[in-house]
Amino acid sequence: MSTPRLVEHFFRHEYGRLVATLSRRAGVQHIEAVEDAVQSALMTALETWTIAGLPDNPSGWLFRVAHNHLMGELRQRTARRRILEQNAEEDIGTPENGPEIFLAGEVRDDLLRMLFVCCNEAIPLESQLVFALKSLCGFDIREIALRLFTSEANAYKRLGRARSHLRKHPPRPADLAGEQYSSRLPAVNKILYLLFTEGYLSSHAEMAIRRELCNEAIRLAAILAEHPVGQTPETFALLALMHLHAARMAARQDGSGGLLLLEEQNRELWDRQGIQVGLEWLAKSAQGDGFSRYHAEAGIAAEHCLAPSFQETRWDRVVECYSLLERIAPSAIHKLNRAVAVAEWQGPAAGLDVLEGFEPPTWLAGSYLWAAVLADLHRRCGNAQAAMRYRDVAFESAPTPAVKELLRRRLRTGSPG
Amino acid sequence: MPKQSYLCIQRSQPGKGAKPSPAQMQEMYAKFNAWKEKFKDKIVDMGGQLKAGGKIVSSEGATDGPFVEAKEVIGGFMIVSAESMEEAIEVVRQSPGVWRPESSVEIREISTP
Repeated sequence: MSTPRLVEHFFRHEYGRLVATLSRRAGVQHIEAVEDAVQSALMTALETWTIAGLPDNPSGWLFRVAHNHLMGELRQRTARRRILEQNAEEDIGTPENGPEIFLAGEVRDDLLRMLFVCCNEAIPLESQLVFALKSLCGFDIREIALRLFTSEANAYKRLGRARSHLRKHPPRPADLAGEQYSSRLPAVNKILYLLFTEGYLSSHAEMAIRRELCNEAIRLAAILAEHPVGQTPETFALLALMHLHAARMAARQDGSGGLLLLEEQNRELWDRQGIQVGLEWLAKSAQGDGFSRYHAEAGIAAEHCLAPSFQETRWDRVVECYSLLERIAPSAIHKLNRAVAVAEWQGPAAGLDVLEGFEPPTWLAGSYLWAAVLADLHRRCGNAQAAMRYRDVAFESAPTPAVKELLRRRLRTGSPG
Repeated sequence: MPKQSYLCIQRSQPGKGAKPSPAQMQEMYAKFNAWKEKFKDKIVDMGGQLKAGGKIVSSEGATDGPFVEAKEVIGGFMIVSAESMEEAIEVVRQSPGVWRPESSVEIREISTP
């Protein structure tokens, strides 16, 4: 009675694939029925496979069961409402078509199509994100709320907004042909970027959970980059920056889960292979004359990955990338980062000069980042009073104990240095 | 000591308990297989799920039920071989509640002549 193991994330990724494929066949307006059918099919699989063992083709098996669930449900609805205009049976084909749809290319296209469907500017960005996590990545509401640091009720509300939009305005096949794909590509890149940064930048201590979001973003971005519609310098640069950041993730935490500063990190722990992959994507992204924010960010990440030590970092290049980033995507946070890089390059006083007379927007002024950078720069300039003032603010607004601990180390009082 | 067979009847309350997420299902799958591997010598028959609905046959003929109580459903069964009730309990206790969350298992020794 041997039990073959399933590949990692099999259930979750099958969920995404099945939802994408069945939604294409039945229409996105039926997304809730589709998701229910897929959930039931996975549950049936769990109950059956644990007793009878794995079938020869688990994916095909799941497709048939989910398809039948869905057909039954839609047929019932059609009968109930006596609506004949959408004949579900014809729309979604017969289960015998099952195995054929598992040609890798078509599944890939279904997933991509779903991604483009949800990246619709008529749907709020945060709703797009929740929808993608639910429908494409197979997380449930509890898991999404946990990963996005929001309440279940809020995550559910966000999902509802996306669903109700798609129900009222289901995309027709023609809506997502050639040109439409290209025009939505920036929105798709953006949602993947957001998904990645949610995982990477979050101050949550649970490494594994964050890492999962990053891996999902990389997985979807890689699928996108394989398809003609995604073969653009922007998408390549996006993948480069994801790989370059992810390669350094393991070194960002100490043994007990605390966060480590860049200069404290053991560069031996960086994933050399991941860095290599990132650099390859970066090289590929350097074509045409487009220079996106992803290029600038990947450039910064590459400089850090290539530096043999914190001190030997080519800070002038990092500063240059931040300047470009500020120009392409103006944001106070980029200015703040540039100030940090300038301080490493030309000294703390030069860093403070960057921020001289700058009024941060309220969201930044109230965050620990702003206060922490100013506290650090003032401390290193020997302005003890200003340093203390900002340090207190930084401690107060630190979102987690791990961040607070990191600040304590960084902003310790004493001699400037 | 001779081994006895025990019938394990799994009961659950319909509609109770949150649905597991795909990630949780995968975890349950792994746990269940590990459990099955651990007790493979004691599991005589994996049994199976029992489908909903059925007929009750009595001297007055066949009817649709009701089965026990509507709020409690027999979801599945299996047969375990153990030296004692305590051992059978241990096998069942260690099994991950894979069939349905918030379910209970009734264990009855099958008498041998």
